[in-house]
Amino acid sequence: MFRNLKNWCYGTLALVFLAGSFTSHAQGEALFKAKCSSCHQPHKNGTGPKLFKVRQKWADGGAKEGSIYQWVNNWQAAAASDSYAQSVSTWSPTAMSAFPELKKEDINAIMDWVDAQPEPGAAAADGAAPADGMTPADGAAAEEEGFGWIWIILGVIFFTIILAVGGVRRQLNIASSDANGEDVKEGMTYGEEFKTWAWKYRLYVGLGSLVIVISIIVSLFLSLYQIGVIEDYQPSQPIAFPHAIHTGVNGIDCKYCHSSVTKSKSAGIPSVNVCMNCHKQVNGRTPAQQEQIAKVYDAAGWDPSGAGKYIGKVKPIIWNKVHVLPDHVYFNHSQHVVVGGVDCKQCHGDMTKQVETVKVQPVSELNKIEGNIPLTKPTMTMGWCIECHSKKEISLGALDTKKDGYYDEIHRRLLQNKKAKALYGQYLEDGIVSVSELGGWECAKCHY
Amino acid sequence: MTRKYWKGLEELKETPEFLKSKEQEFPSQMSVEDFLSDENLKETSTARRDFLKFLGFSVAAATVAACEAPVTKVIPYVNKPEDVTPGMPTWYASTYYDGQSYASILVKTREGRPIYIKGNKDFGMTNGGTNAQIIASVLGLYDSARLQGPMYSGSETSWKQLDSAVMAGLKSANKVTIVTNTIISPSFKAAVDQLAIAIGATPENGKVNHIQYDAVSYAGMRLANKDNFGAEIIPSYDFAKAKTIVSVGADFLSTWLMPTAFATQYGMRRNPDGDWMSKHFQFESNMSVTGSNADYRGMIKPSEQANVLAYILKAFNVSTGVSTTLSADAAKIADAAVKALKASKGESIVVAGSNNKSVQLLANKLNNVLGAYGTTIDLNEKVNLFKSEDAKMNAFVKDVIGGRASDAVLFLGVNPVYTLSNGKAFGEALKKVKLSISFSSHADETAVHCKYSAPDHHALESWADYNPTTSHFAVAQPTIRPLFNTASALETMLVWAGKASRGGKDSKTAHEFIRSNWQTSPLLTTAEGVADLTNFWNMAVHNSCVTAPQATDAVPLVFADAKIGAVPTASGLEISLYQKTGIGIGAQANNPWLQELPDPMTKVTWDNYITMNPSEMEKGGYVTTYDQEHGLNLATVTVEGASVTLPVYPLPGQAPGTVGIALGYGRGENGEQIGKAAFQTKEYGGYAASEDGKLIPIGANVFRFVQNENGTMAYEVSGSIKKAEGTYSIAATQIHHTVMGRFSIVRETTLDTFTNKDKEAYNPAHMLKKLDKDGNHVERPISEFDLWDAHPVEKIGHRWGMTIDLSSCIGCGSCLIACQSENNVPVVGKDEVRRGREMHWLRIDRYFASEEEAAVGTRKDAETFSFDEAEIAALNPKVVHMPMLCHHCNHAPCETVCPVAATTHSNEGLNQMAYNRCIGTRYCANNCPYKVRRFNWFNYPSYKKFTEVNPAQDDLGRMVLNPDVTVRTRGVMEKCSFCVQRIQAGKLVAKKESRPVMDGDFASACVDACPTNAITVGDWNDLKSMVRSSADDKRSYQALEEVGVRPNIWYKVKVRNEKNDVLDALQVAEGHDAAKGHGNKKKHH
Repeated sequence: MFRNLKNWCYGTLALVFLAGSFTSHAQGEALFKAKCSSCHQPHKNGTGPKLFKVRQKWADGGAKEGSIYQWVNNWQAAAASDSYAQSVSTWSPTAMSAFPELKKEDINAIMDWVDAQPEPGAAAADGAAPADGMTPADGAAAEEEGFGWIWIILGVIFFTIILAVGGVRRQLNIASSDANGEDVKEGMTYGEEFKTWAWKYRLYVGLGSLVIVISIIVSLFLSLYQIGVIEDYQPSQPIAFPHAIHTGVNGIDCKYCHSSVTKSKSAGIPSVNVCMNCHKQVNGRTPAQQEQIAKVYDAAGWDPSGAGKYIGKVKPIIWNKVHVLPDHVYFNHSQHVVVGGVDCKQCHGDMTKQVETVKVQPVSELNKIEGNIPLTKPTMTMGWCIECHSKKEISLGALDTKKDGYYDEIHRRLLQNKKAKALYGQYLEDGIVSVSELGGWECAKCHY
Repeated sequence: MTRKYWKGLEELKETPEFLKSKEQEFPSQMSVEDFLSDENLKETSTARRDFLKFLGFSVAAATVAACEAPVTKVIPYVNKPEDVTPGMPTWYASTYYDGQSYASILVKTREGRPIYIKGNKDFGMTNGGTNAQIIASVLGLYDSARLQGPMYSGSETSWKQLDSAVMAGLKSANKVTIVTNTIISPSFKAAVDQLAIAIGATPENGKVNHIQYDAVSYAGMRLANKDNFGAEIIPSYDFAKAKTIVSVGADFLSTWLMPTAFATQYGMRRNPDGDWMSKHFQFESNMSVTGSNADYRGMIKPSEQANVLAYILKAFNVSTGVSTTLSADAAKIADAAVKALKASKGESIVVAGSNNKSVQLLANKLNNVLGAYGTTIDLNEKVNLFKSEDAKMNAFVKDVIGGRASDAVLFLGVNPVYTLSNGKAFGEALKKVKLSISFSSHADETAVHCKYSAPDHHALESWADYNPTTSHFAVAQPTIRPLFNTASALETMLVWAGKASRGGKDSKTAHEFIRSNWQTSPLLTTAEGVADLTNFWNMAVHNSCVTAPQATDAVPLVFADAKIGAVPTASGLEISLYQKTGIGIGAQANNPWLQELPDPMTKVTWDNYITMNPSEMEKGGYVTTYDQEHGLNLATVTVEGASVTLPVYPLPGQAPGTVGIALGYGRGENGEQIGKAAFQTKEYGGYAASEDGKLIPIGANVFRFVQNENGTMAYEVSGSIKKAEGTYSIAATQIHHTVMGRFSIVRETTLDTFTNKDKEAYNPAHMLKKLDKDGNHVERPISEFDLWDAHPVEKIGHRWGMTIDLSSCIGCGSCLIACQSENNVPVVGKDEVRRGREMHWLRIDRYFASEEEAAVGTRKDAETFSFDEAEIAALNPKVVHMPMLCHHCNHAPCETVCPVAATTHSNEGLNQMAYNRCIGTRYCANNCPYKVRRFNWFNYPSYKKFTEVNPAQDDLGRMVLNPDVTVRTRGVMEKCSFCVQRIQAGKLVAKKESRPVMDGDFASACVDACPTNAITVGDWNDLKSMVRSSADDKRSYQALEEVGVRPNIWYKVKVRNEKNDVLDALQVAEGHDAAKGHGNKKKHH
């Protein structure tokens, strides 16, 4: 994916340089993107036909001089006066919008820019796709597995060395005793010898064993704490979906695809029809991208060959879930996003920079997010939730502006109660109302 | 106040077993040693040592496995339906009709799966009323025993093959008989007509014979109305308009006619805070749900039903020629009824449950005398349910058995092989019929004898329309794509009629047909406000119903006197066959929720039995007490050569000389595949099998006893009973969870006392003595005594509270099923219920009360008093139904004893249960004064013992689980959470809209389900909330208030509209000297 990005950067840079040579190109590009790009592309038919060398096409087709500019300003007028324009109007049942504000030079600037666009296939020919099918996540897993074996092999080697050295030492001892004419303690096994040795150095052996036992217990407990911790979890995905391009480069809002995040407990994985809203037209610039987007077409049953129709059977995409909560936890996205005003990136990290497939961002990464409360417990653990709930403030602004809101009523009841000061005094002292002070630490808020 | 309430004869008599069991809420009769030395264990594959090995391994394995994050797959929609938001419920308005119950419902779906049904309180004639069967029907959708496609002779076939074979068969047949339950669907009727025309039927040749046949018939009523009004109608009854209700054997709150509508109407007038309260007289032989709610209940034999009506008519100077002989007790109550009826002329209602025409003629006559027609009974608005044509059906059955039958027979919504008294012979004869087709969703008793099965969709998968009463029209819409390769019966009829072709799972045939029928119906579309047909249909689907302009008969129906024929007579033992609230006619016998629903009266689960009055049982030498180890005696009841052997259950209030047996049991006698939970299971899982290897059905089928009397089916028959060998273990929730002899649980008064006396007389505050500063003993209210500091929930934030009106609660059990459905409460099976390990978060305690003051502590003659004397009063006791659930005590005793703080208090007044913290010490349950905590003894969703009964052990059955509620595992406590998931959801709605929580944002499942609106929930701290005003009401009290646990649940004193001098005297006395009375009581506990 990094390599792809590099290609992207080269491509974009090249375009920028090309464009920079003509000042009008910059203007043309801006206008194209503002006015045309929702329906037209340079090299591909979309809602509207491709625009590459379109002026030439009209001229070749026998269109009247200037008819094309009239078409852009008001296609109906053009179609009425020019037979070629009339034939163009039957290209699609979808009518084109009128752009009376575009002057002839604007239109020419757009067309110039469009005509300067290279064929995507040519530009991307050198964009090599990853040769093997292994995604980075797979690689990491394999690497980790490899480490395990190295340790075992090392352990075996060390153990053999210890035995060998012990054996040599023993033989030397026997030999030296023999040489000194002492009684050779024949038949003393390794075990007995070890016992004798251990008894001789019993203080050190005892202390050492104690240290070993304690460290085993401690490390056992520490590793038990790691059970269920899925920080850095980055499963492979059927489609190498780059959030960085979608939300970073293209600036698509998270909620456009994860639309149920404001309504439901689950943010929702976008259904394929949402992908197709854009990918009906965007089919990728590099073979690598095209390969991935083809999977979307496959799922949606879309014929990308240009017929522009849904043909085949639909086939759901089976994703691997990244953020997995145990069944006994109830988490509601809309509570946090709508009521709590939490931004997606506060828990999921800055997705505009997530070039690879999604992973559970470690808390160290999340702490770098602007405005985030620094937390210490690993992401997606109960400690993490609890920590945030104890620090996160309920927005008092909401209390001030909307006097009949949910929290205002709760606040009012609190103020009206004489006992409240005694009962809640400790909470009110610091002048902030945290989630936990309103019951955000209570079991049945999340477990039922 | 000083009545003694007892839940069973065991408690009244204080048998040694009872005394032992009341010490232990969770009886574990078997010690660990006993368990391990059990011979059976050696037969199991896991020996003890192996078990320990496995235990060691699995701990290690679990630790290792837990180190890796599990890979969870997530599959989003390809094309997301517009109205589905993952994680959010989508509700659909629909209508339920199964041939018995009718209700307007709302269906909750999650990610396209229906998971919960509740009544529609905004639209429809049932006003939100439902019953346990309707709520539980959602589980039937996910029944893996359903037929998954068309069948021919027991093997799979395709719809194409079936259609062509059937169409050819129907065309070539000389005579086609269509047997259905009562069809109230106008579109289905139209489809039947089209089919008839298509296969060449004309009125002249009579090729098609459509018989409507109901398992429980109301033909007697329709025939009586024909004599009186000239038309076979059933009019609408409005119990909300009746100041006096007299019911003779009609269980109208539970099973008679339209209980979903009646219970709601009845509930409106049982609240003494309303404008007026109805007075209800019940004459019956079985203690029914309706009878248990009556202000006056007379015990009569079924053969005396006519006598009661004649007796009352005589008091209005109408002679009938029918005997008016009644027992002294019944006559006393009949006299009271006469007095009440005379005082409320034109505002009273008389209903009779008998299917005998003469009894119904008497009831009609009385209604006419009382001026009920046109006031409480609406003759214009006719009920279209229950049009069973008993005579026609009998003739058809005879023909089939005699081999003279039609060439082709269709069965839809009926199971005659099971429900006919001669069903077995009918089933055998059916095999000889050339073409027989069943529409049943299961290979049930009838379907296995049919050549073809064309399984209908489940009701939640199909479109349907209904016309339950003259002007009311309703739509049922699908809430899920069909799970199996089934087809809507409506589509099938249209296909066979050549009017449509098969559309598969996405078929629009039924929808298009119904819509066009509605849009072209002059009756519906000429109504005011119908401008646009598309809008009209869309609104009809949205609301689930429309009301056509009130049609009045061209010639008004006028009562004409008719000759009353012979009234039922009886000899020997009289047997009253009745329906249970949960099982009904047995259509959902495979539904484990309903099987495990404790019967409202007997509290028995998973069985039917013979109910007999305990006094008679003692005379007959039957044991009247039972527990988990000691069963009940078996007896054989014989009627006209047919006999069943069932345990004899002691039910106070059963009329002497009669017994009652419930219909709807004994399904799948020949091992038909009617569902996993429909058969008896063994102690350690697996099915019990008879000697010849057949599955053993639950209970016995007493449809065999139904007699054909003068052309109508009689459900009250004569026979004999003989004690049989052996005893039978019964799983009842009755003797568990005792009230520990405390008196402050149920409070009751009469309407007179309630209206004329002040609160002290019927709802006195609990007082305790304490020393004032001068050293004198003074009486102070309970609230002043406290061990703990106040919990900060009063007036701060929310305090979720609930009030339960004991006056309105009819004990139907709908709340219990709704709770089970909402909160993933496991089914545990008969054996576990027998051990007192049922898991229901909400139970309904049914207390029998006797006039006899039996409590030792309040009697002067305590030394010489014998408990046996109280038994005389127990012959026909008053009943109180009391829903009991976690009280969310603000000073909760369970919280203080938990060693791991798994149960804690929230600042919203909830007693929270964190399952993952719980280590299963069960200290909390021991310390709970209300005994509402439940312990997971097993891993119900996976342990083999529960494979047959627990729907969560089935890939399909699991679909019904509510994804917002954790499925609990072994070794943890659980209990009512106040539907905390709904509280959170309701709060979130308010927060998102930036407004305070209001009434209606939150309703627990029990509130949804209550047909009489007896339960109110809300934020007690909100001074404007309904629950606050209800809790502050003068009728409100808290159960076991003197314990000082400060619960968040209030009960409201039950008010009976009766004259009760004894109770009045006691309560007045208490009003003057309340403190003393209570002081005495305290001393003895």
